[in-house]
Amino acid sequence: MASGDSELHTLVGAYVMDAVTEFERAAFSRHLTSCPECRAEIRELQEAAARLGTAAAVLPRSELKGQTIRAASRISQLPPATPAPGRTWRRLTALPRAALMAAAVLAASAAVLGVVTQHTMQQLDHSQRQNHMIAAVLNAPDVVILTAKVSTGGTATVMMSHSEHALVFTAHGLRALPAARSYELWLMGPHGDRPAGMLTAEAGGMAGPAVVSGLTPGDMIGLTIEPVAGSRQPTSAPIVLIGHGNN
Amino acid sequence: MGGTEDERRRRASRAFPRLPAADEGPPPLEDLLAGVARGDERAYEAVYDQTSGWVLGVIRKVLRDPAQSEEVMQEVLLDVWRSAARFDPALGSGTSWVMTMAHRRAVDRVRSERSHASRELRSASAVIDYDDVIEAVQASLDRERVQHCLVSLTPLQRECVNLAYYGGYTYREVAELLGVPAGTVKTRMRDGLIRLRDCLGVE
Repeated sequence: MASGDSELHTLVGAYVMDAVTEFERAAFSRHLTSCPECRAEIRELQEAAARLGTAAAVLPRSELKGQTIRAASRISQLPPATPAPGRTWRRLTALPRAALMAAAVLAASAAVLGVVTQHTMQQLDHSQRQNHMIAAVLNAPDVVILTAKVSTGGTATVMMSHSEHALVFTAHGLRALPAARSYELWLMGPHGDRPAGMLTAEAGGMAGPAVVSGLTPGDMIGLTIEPVAGSRQPTSAPIVLIGHGNN
Repeated sequence: MGGTEDERRRRASRAFPRLPAADEGPPPLEDLLAGVARGDERAYEAVYDQTSGWVLGVIRKVLRDPAQSEEVMQEVLLDVWRSAARFDPALGSGTSWVMTMAHRRAVDRVRSERSHASRELRSASAVIDYDDVIEAVQASLDRERVQHCLVSLTPLQRECVNLAYYGGYTYREVAELLGVPAGTVKTRMRDGLIRLRDCLGVE
């Protein structure tokens, strides 16, 4: 990351306006922990950006107020964050608890908010849980970011946290596969190869972020090409295998 | 006569026991958020009154779809209730805290929509629309001020800020849209915001 730091710093404006990808956000957040000047700059620019938002104010329909306030009264509140985020964040956001909490909150709002459809709630439930897991991995003190070329084309990036027993996998430029084949992720290590989910490549070969939990010491993440229904064990050699040896 | 005035004041103070008299303006959002953190529903109602228009406004700019925008607005306001104890005034104003959450949610939503639909880039509006904005004096003063400051940016800075903040695009997408190198877009976003900060006089 040595050469990346000044490069990263120019991301301040884009970061403040959310004009970055999840990965850039994570990398930049890590940079922030060691850069007090950046935090001061961000704070000021966030105030300026907020004014762009408030200047666009519109009047919400009056029914929404009652609905929202009634919904809030059924949702429990989070405790305050403790003051040393670096050390305590991990404990506060331990995966299962964060996921459960998100699920509970969503269930509560689903019951109350008439405007939210069942289908949307399911999508939200899934994406919110996934977001919590991603946040837990990206903010873990031991997260490592690893990138490798995929032998059949494309690049894969993994953010891995052994303390969270989880990783986040993304790829771009993956080759389009014939209809009968699909990409499949595997945890590969001393405990054998375990299937870690199918991976769908979208336009431009973009795939993920896929959250993989159950990471144990020594595991690497592998990607293979399998029959479209998936396999119990890899039936071909990994086209990319990412991990770090010292764990 | 004095009686009716007293009566009115008494009635007003019964309705809003924690709020100061009208000419002192609404209580600071930071104080209200501290109340919300303690589970004070009346403070939450005041936070809703103060922020829901801003929240819905920024979400509408990014998402466009009115029904979805209402849905996301409610999610953000529920998030404010849920996580008020995490608000730290040492890290920024209450407005900035709420707007950061609102903008991020809107951007997350619009990006997942775009990845579902084709990754077609639509054109973002160049400046603030005047069609459906709140017709309140304070709001229109704010808007004029921001509009004035946006005009003081260079055209490229302004485009970059518009597409990122109101369009929800990443700096790489903005670079693609404008046919400008990504590095240039990054720096224009930063110096555009710096100029905006100086023009608005925010700390």
